[in-house]
Amino acid sequence: MNAIHPIVLHGLIYGGAIATVLLTLTAWGIWFERKFAGRMQSRLGPTLVGWVGLLQPLADAAKLLQKEDLIPDQADRTLYLASPPLTVFFTLATVAVIPFSVDVAVANLPIGVLWILALGGLMVFPVWTAGWASANKYALLGGMRAVAQGISYEIPMVLSALVPVIFAGSMDVNEIVTWQAEHHWLVLGPGLFAFVIFFVSSLAEANRIPFDIPEAESELVAGVTTEYSGMRFGLFYMAEYLHTLVASAVASALFLGGWNGLFGLADGIHWMLAKTLALFFMITWVRWSLVRFRSDQLMRLCWIYLVPMSLALVMVSALWVYYEPMLGGH
Amino acid sequence: MLKAEAYRALLESDFGVQEFSDKTPPCIEASEHHRLAATLKERGYTLYGFVAATHMPAVKGAADALELAGHYEVATGLRCPTEGSHIAIWRVRLGLDEELRTLVDLFVGADWQEREQYDLVGVRFADHPDLRRLMLPEDWEGHPLHRDYPIDTPHPPWR
Amino acid sequence: MTLASAARLGVDPHRDLTDYDPEADLMVLNMGPQHPSTHGVFRVKLYLDGETIVRAVPYVGYLHRGVEKLLEELTFVQATPIVDKNDYVSPMTNEQAINMAFEALLEVEVPRRARYMRTLFAEMSRISSHLLWLATFGIDMGGALGGGTTLFLHCFRERESILDLFELVTGARFHYNTHTIGGNRHDIPAGWAKRVHQALDLIASRVDEYLDLSTKNAIFVARTRGVGTLPAKLALELGITGPILRASGVDHDLRRDAPFHAYDEIDVKVQTEQAGDCLARAHVRIRELSESIRLSKLLVDGLPEGPICGGRPIKNPTQFKAKDGQAYVALETPRGELGTYVIGGGGNKGASPYRLKIRPPSLHALAAMPYLLVGGTISDAVVILGSLDPIMGEADR
Repeated sequence: MNAIHPIVLHGLIYGGAIATVLLTLTAWGIWFERKFAGRMQSRLGPTLVGWVGLLQPLADAAKLLQKEDLIPDQADRTLYLASPPLTVFFTLATVAVIPFSVDVAVANLPIGVLWILALGGLMVFPVWTAGWASANKYALLGGMRAVAQGISYEIPMVLSALVPVIFAGSMDVNEIVTWQAEHHWLVLGPGLFAFVIFFVSSLAEANRIPFDIPEAESELVAGVTTEYSGMRFGLFYMAEYLHTLVASAVASALFLGGWNGLFGLADGIHWMLAKTLALFFMITWVRWSLVRFRSDQLMRLCWIYLVPMSLALVMVSALWVYYEPMLGGH
Repeated sequence: MLKAEAYRALLESDFGVQEFSDKTPPCIEASEHHRLAATLKERGYTLYGFVAATHMPAVKGAADALELAGHYEVATGLRCPTEGSHIAIWRVRLGLDEELRTLVDLFVGADWQEREQYDLVGVRFADHPDLRRLMLPEDWEGHPLHRDYPIDTPHPPWR
Repeated sequence: MTLASAARLGVDPHRDLTDYDPEADLMVLNMGPQHPSTHGVFRVKLYLDGETIVRAVPYVGYLHRGVEKLLEELTFVQATPIVDKNDYVSPMTNEQAINMAFEALLEVEVPRRARYMRTLFAEMSRISSHLLWLATFGIDMGGALGGGTTLFLHCFRERESILDLFELVTGARFHYNTHTIGGNRHDIPAGWAKRVHQALDLIASRVDEYLDLSTKNAIFVARTRGVGTLPAKLALELGITGPILRASGVDHDLRRDAPFHAYDEIDVKVQTEQAGDCLARAHVRIRELSESIRLSKLLVDGLPEGPICGGRPIKNPTQFKAKDGQAYVALETPRGELGTYVIGGGGNKGASPYRLKIRPPSLHALAAMPYLLVGGTISDAVVILGSLDPIMGEADR
């Protein structure tokens, strides 16, 4: 035991625990989404497997595991096999710097926000290679759209994530949360617009409706995942929900005050979970109400509206932080 | 109706039709087919209606030459979409190896409709830009709506 | 795209490229016949330059079942259940069309009550067909897992109430076989009119909900405005009728202009739009839905008493015979002008038609695909195909 450095040990234990909790939350997030969608559509959702269908995720996993392992003849084997696990990997790796409570985090990196954004950028790669490696035109188109959308929406995401960094004066996510605990939640003040832009960009990065052009079922059969079946498809499916949860967690930490409680109530992990789940609920709600954008409309939204707005926001935040002490602010 | 009478008058005066009956549409010469369609289009019959071809097999001892040899009968309809919508229908009789002039240059919709009649019945249309099968696979043999095509003709691998 | 611009651009629709060079920049993407979005088995071969469609070649015939040949073997009486399966989304109008054609051929009178009943069923069928169209259009746009599904399930919920009403009359939710030569076979049970009012009131109250999820939804409008504009002249030349023609500005509706059955006793307000794009077609269909609700209420209240069938009761499949004669009868279905051209004097000693040609409005609508798709993207292709509302059972027969 003394051969393992304490930081590594801390990382392994906390990382393992948080990953397990998150993956479990993802599985039951899928259940929740299906129930919620059902209720929105005057139907019940899963009911058969377990009480109110709570064991449905297990049934889904079991079904996917017993499917035939198909690899298209002309597919690029290495990339085809590597893409699904990589999507999950990059998403899970992002969680390392998110503080779930005052001292519950896998690693409090001083460059936390940079870590999150960099891995968010890397997440586009496995989706793209999945599309290319499938040797299927629909998948290829889906992959190309995913790249275009992914790299475009990174810009407003990065810029709007800079706003908490500017206010807190640090890229360490725990310090951002601490700053919000001491002052006020960023979303309740100048960070509201940044939050909205960050939220919308996260939706686009996670390929959720209304931005789900890369996997637009009615146009591209199943988009990027057309040639994937069985557990490989299961990994993509899980990665999508995981990404949604992680994006909610990041937004909660950066803008909603993380583990900080309202009205002076006790801080703790329950607040973080509550905020994450609240954002997850909102993302689900948006998904089942809206139809999707066309790719050029999506690009328009990003480059013509979100990028200038987020640039302006960064400048405004910088000016605010600079001049606030002189104006005798809080 | 005014339109129906005007149509009848046009056929009598310009196209030499003498017999009109309630039970069947008027019949004109095959060579006049395109001219009638063009005239009607100028007079406001701009909505393409339908084209229906029928194969009439040979009738023994018939007086008429076409009926003796077997012929095609092609009925065409054009509609006038303005008030009091009237559809002008006429028939044309063709020998089995004759071709009927296509209406594609007047009505683009005739493209597919005539292709379908060629596909199913076998009547050919002259000057059609691309007369090939529409409904049936490209390599199908025979024209199913021919009267002497039995309904259960096998055609591997399709049937 | 207009005919003139098609000629100018050298767009020769319906024709495959014979000199296709795979090394060139065009990618061939085959949409269909198996595809979540092609409304039945329909194939369109897209030549893409990036995401822009440069050429689109449609192929039909995947659902060709030889209905016309089959109907030459069957008698007049036996034709109704076969024809049900053409436009399987609004079967009442199919049955009405073929029986009207036979009645014109056989010179059988339809009593007034049967005419009203047929018109009422046709209008209710129109409501259910437009609801289904809206549902599938939502799926095309929002995917089977998303906001489109919400719209889909809401519309289907309402459609179930209409299908239940039909089940009370005919015993079947779909494929009713209720029309016959001279009238109808099933009469309306007691208390049905009240249930019709209840169902129609419910749908009328929900139309606002549909509008919220569709034409008032900003993303829906962004996806459909200016997409797939069909000029009126091209529509007329292609023989397109129905809501598509009316959305392109041509005020033509067979219910008002060439009235048949009870339409000469009621006033149909024809809905038109000028734009001719997908949004205009959506507007026309939703307004037609509201108009059909109003007409159905009028018809069910004004249903006259009397016999429901003018021909003799069916005892024998060959009891109606026609030695000769030809008739063309057209009526206005939710898709446009469904025409039936029948020549009498067929087999079974004249009890079968000699030739039966069904003029399907969907086939004419599909012929517009090459003109509408060129210049758009694949997303637009799906939306345009949805807005044309083709039913392959009818287009291919």
